[in-house]
Amino acid sequence: MKPAAFDYVAPTSLDAALTALADGGYDAKPIAGGQSLVPLMAFRLAVFGQLVDLGRIEELQGVARDGDELVIGAATRQAAIAKDALVAEHAPVLAQATGWIGHQQIRNRGTIGGSICHADPAAEYPATAVALDATIDVASTRGRRSIPAAELFEAAYTTTLEPDEVAVAVRIPVRRPGEGTAIFEVARRPGDFALAGCVVRVATSGGAVIDARVLAFGVGGAPIRLAAAEAALAAGAGVGSQELTAALQADADGLTPPEDAQATSAYRHSIVVHVANTAIAEAIADSQ
Amino acid sequence: MSRQQVEMTVNGRVHAGEVEPRLTLVDFLREDCALTGTHTGCEQGVCGACTVLVDGEPMRSCLMFAVQADGAQVTTIEGIGGGREGLTPVQQAFMDNHGLQCGYCTPGFIVTVEAFLRDTPSPSDEQIREALSGNVCRCTGYQGIIAAVRQAADQLAAEARS
Amino acid sequence: MSAQTGGAARFVGASVKRREDPRLLTGGGQFVDDVQLPGMLHAAFVRSPLASARIASIDTQAALAVPGVVAIFTGADDFPRLPPWWPSEANVPAQHPLAIEDVRFVGDPVAIVIAESRYIAEDACELVDVAYEARTPIVDYRAAGEEGAPVVHAELGTNLVAEMASPPDPALEAAFAGSDHVFKETIKSHRYAAVPMETRGFVASWNKAGGELTVHMAGQAPHVARAYFALSLGLPEHAVRVIQRDVGGGFGQKAFQARDDMAVLHAAMRIDRPLKWIEDRQENLTAATHSRHEQITIEVGVNNDGLLQAIRLDHVLDAGAYPAMPAEADPGLVAAWFPGPYKVPHFGFRNVQYYTNTTARGPYRGPWLIETTVRETMLDIVARGIGMDPAEVRRRNSIQAADQPYQLHSGIVFDRVSPAETLEQAVEMAHYAQFREEQAAARAEGRLLGIGIASYIEPTAFGGGRSMGIEAATIRIEPSGKVTCLMGLGSYGHSVETTMAQVVADELGVAFEDVTIVQGDTASAPVGGGNLGSRSAVIGGAVAGMSARKARAKILDLAGHLMEAAPDDLELVDGVVSVKGSPASSMALTEITQVAYNGADRLPEGMEPGIEETTRWSAPFVTHSNATHVCMCEVDRNTGLVKLLDYVVSEDCGVMINPMVVEGQISGGVVQGIGGALLEHIPYDADGNPLAVNFKDYLLPVADLIPEIRIGHIVTPSDTPGGHKGAGEGGTIGGVAATVNAVADALAPLGVTITEQPLSPSRLLALIEQASA
Repeated sequence: MKPAAFDYVAPTSLDAALTALADGGYDAKPIAGGQSLVPLMAFRLAVFGQLVDLGRIEELQGVARDGDELVIGAATRQAAIAKDALVAEHAPVLAQATGWIGHQQIRNRGTIGGSICHADPAAEYPATAVALDATIDVASTRGRRSIPAAELFEAAYTTTLEPDEVAVAVRIPVRRPGEGTAIFEVARRPGDFALAGCVVRVATSGGAVIDARVLAFGVGGAPIRLAAAEAALAAGAGVGSQELTAALQADADGLTPPEDAQATSAYRHSIVVHVANTAIAEAIADSQ
Repeated sequence: MSRQQVEMTVNGRVHAGEVEPRLTLVDFLREDCALTGTHTGCEQGVCGACTVLVDGEPMRSCLMFAVQADGAQVTTIEGIGGGREGLTPVQQAFMDNHGLQCGYCTPGFIVTVEAFLRDTPSPSDEQIREALSGNVCRCTGYQGIIAAVRQAADQLAAEARS
Repeated sequence: MSAQTGGAARFVGASVKRREDPRLLTGGGQFVDDVQLPGMLHAAFVRSPLASARIASIDTQAALAVPGVVAIFTGADDFPRLPPWWPSEANVPAQHPLAIEDVRFVGDPVAIVIAESRYIAEDACELVDVAYEARTPIVDYRAAGEEGAPVVHAELGTNLVAEMASPPDPALEAAFAGSDHVFKETIKSHRYAAVPMETRGFVASWNKAGGELTVHMAGQAPHVARAYFALSLGLPEHAVRVIQRDVGGGFGQKAFQARDDMAVLHAAMRIDRPLKWIEDRQENLTAATHSRHEQITIEVGVNNDGLLQAIRLDHVLDAGAYPAMPAEADPGLVAAWFPGPYKVPHFGFRNVQYYTNTTARGPYRGPWLIETTVRETMLDIVARGIGMDPAEVRRRNSIQAADQPYQLHSGIVFDRVSPAETLEQAVEMAHYAQFREEQAAARAEGRLLGIGIASYIEPTAFGGGRSMGIEAATIRIEPSGKVTCLMGLGSYGHSVETTMAQVVADELGVAFEDVTIVQGDTASAPVGGGNLGSRSAVIGGAVAGMSARKARAKILDLAGHLMEAAPDDLELVDGVVSVKGSPASSMALTEITQVAYNGADRLPEGMEPGIEETTRWSAPFVTHSNATHVCMCEVDRNTGLVKLLDYVVSEDCGVMINPMVVEGQISGGVVQGIGGALLEHIPYDADGNPLAVNFKDYLLPVADLIPEIRIGHIVTPSDTPGGHKGAGEGGTIGGVAATVNAVADALAPLGVTITEQPLSPSRLLALIEQASA
């Protein structure tokens, strides 16, 4: 389990990194924390001619507030996000999501941009980013663009990023008054990838839900909006109500969850309703 | 593929060498630095046997390349206790509570727990179990390990008070 | 107690802290991968990606051209076939280190690549071009005996490994016919593995000029390995030295040498440089042995009063392609030791074992433990069926003290065991009645709480004249008065450097600190059986004590001569010989050893200089320990996840040398049992691909999932010299069954029956949904 050989550069500026990626073409790969990439390389499931390490680029690090948005450098470590004061205040569910990621040793190295760009269907950050209406700023030598998280994830391990593009920052609208968020997931062991998980954001007015984002993960190729549940919540269906349960069931029935050594497809299908219900209840409680 | 110069401080001593970029940090520590106390158990970042401190934080040394640690301060099990000052309270607690049998996973646990108690001086039992869950032990059934962390935490807290 | 014959019992029975720990806690252990020899090369294997295929051709040219590649060996290089471990009546195929014409499981070693680094060796492995002609594999062992099933080993003409059955017994049939109830279930055990944290590994160094092979290895039994290596490699036994310093677990997997192990040694002898092979985790989960894949159909005849009348077993096992242990071992143990701690008047069995195109079956801690899993889970099914509490059913059937010696149908005799006592202690420690009340309250709220009991009697420390039952210890009182004890053990975490020193210190009458145990090296130790089969305390402890007594007798003889006193009037305490009752008249042990080694002219007539004593002892046929486990859990109705709430073990391993070490063995074993019951599983797909070959897919228990394990002790000394009984495997044996029973009890109100593991959330939620549908 030793990786195949590759060349390695660790530029200290984003421009240099983008140039290296552009020059390297399909053979070059950006590496951030490497917590998902390195195992794939160890199994030789992934082989690259060149790794471009983003870990030494200062402008990709850190959390800042920019108007109504929180701007998180793509190479910010997950552990830093978990204990960041701005995140705790303005995007608390992102900190909560971080707690579900692997273990401390992983979070100390893994980054938010790396996790989002890796697009593991069972990972927490992609669904959280979609639930929070985040935008991913990406860059290449061809220029910069911003991709709404909802348009980033195409399929398992597949994003709409071009090979020469890297994520620069994740922009998250700051939590608004009356908003409530929560994340809940079920895994075989603490720190394992979710068998099914759900991130919920509700907007309330006068204590009543007026809008909702319900994002399931681990049950399909990409984070999946449970649209019927969102509509039911926006229409005033409460936790435990027949309407919400029926809507969740309808959403669940539209899924074709994956099957693997950890759980059957039927199992993932079965627990989605419970997982979503739990997260919805917590999000509503959080909004009060 | 070109080899690259790498230099890092391991347990307070500078180690420099020319390595292939694909050389993992754990292999660099074990083979180039001859620090064989750090072990590999899975080479995919799950078992925790290879945990070392990089710039003070516990990380999987199987999921880093040595070139990525260029310029870093690395602490391995050889840099924790054992010298003239004897065992650290954490190591002593593992010995007192039979927190190890074959000892293969032990360096990873010790490194993890040293950092955990540094950052979480008065942990709850739940926090202890959670903190240990990124390290796998196949021998002890975790009973002695959990007791050891509790003892070390209590002792360190008592020392901090006095 | 052993200590009564020597000095005061100061160390035996005390939780002495481990001698091994300081080095292991500070990175100073020396595991096989830590061995670096000048000029050492590294090996990696090309392994079959197919479960069954003919090898049409192997092209190594491109791989050999990789800079740093030194050699590549394939089946064409004629490494000799492996000799059998011991004589067997079974259908056994030829086993070659590397596949010759056919590959028979995914992971089958096809070529071994030798290079300057493991990185380069793996680069070259990718370039070895093997053309396979795929065949249809036989993957399901239950279908392997069917007409027309693909045959794994064509030379045998059958997939049948072996079968055994008890003779027809009309009384058995009559007992079933006369029982108030007959229950029948097929209880399946899934495939999982020992998974030591340190994988297999070797550093082999062939000194051609000297004709000596030195093998550093991660093993369990250095002398047993040496004998096998010598036989396999055609070397004289004394030309092979096996060294195992620290070993990172084994649990049975490292007790036997597999084909790839032997390929490494053959390759090492064909190159002129030392060779290291460290198995990676993917190889370990793919190609090292798997265990426990079998099923038993059990019929139980029972009366309304809960008394068992008759039991019949039909046991089917999956041997894999190249089983690592003699075929008779596991089914034989199951047949002979059933029905364990309960009195059952009539018993019959049949077992059959088949080859499949899967990874080999091999021993894993309590290799026969389906004996306990099936009996104990079936007893709960029976209890529910007749409406009696599971604890009460066990109570009514347990072998009592008054029943002993108690002879099983197989002729095995239970004596000095305490199943009734451990049952009561465990039930008491678990607050069983109180839990039942809490359970009833929880059930009323719709929550699923469960409690499960499992009892067993465990054969440990097999003896009866076979090599596994013979052990030796050489005790040398050094000229300085310090004590060295050389033993043929092969610890992989058993604490024998501590426990054996406790025994020796007590028997001699010296300080614990003054005794060192040297083991794990065939060059220093007398021939011994290593660490397997829960034997080190019983057999190792016995011989260590015997040799210490011999050494002590010589010390007292010599001291008596020097002090002009009768040896019987002398005592040796804390390294000082003195006249009993007059401590003023004394000699330090060092003064005596100085004479023994350096003043032969002062020795009594006929006494040899020096003090070095060896005892070799053949243990009795078997020594039985026993235990009862109680597991308590809650099953989440929404997710099928199991939360363990509490776990109790009451055990009887006789006289404990070091209770801390005993409890460590039990806890570790229990968690391996829990892991097997809940998490660990290597499923295969229909094409014969293993689906859990890394630690993301193969789930090991972690601290967060494990409750506190509370342990009680009943001490019934065995009739071996130290009074000890084996304690290495029991934790696992009971751990599976108690966990399964707890979960089954939790789900009992739903009316479902659990007959398959692991108890994954998928399986449990399906049962819950099925019950509420």
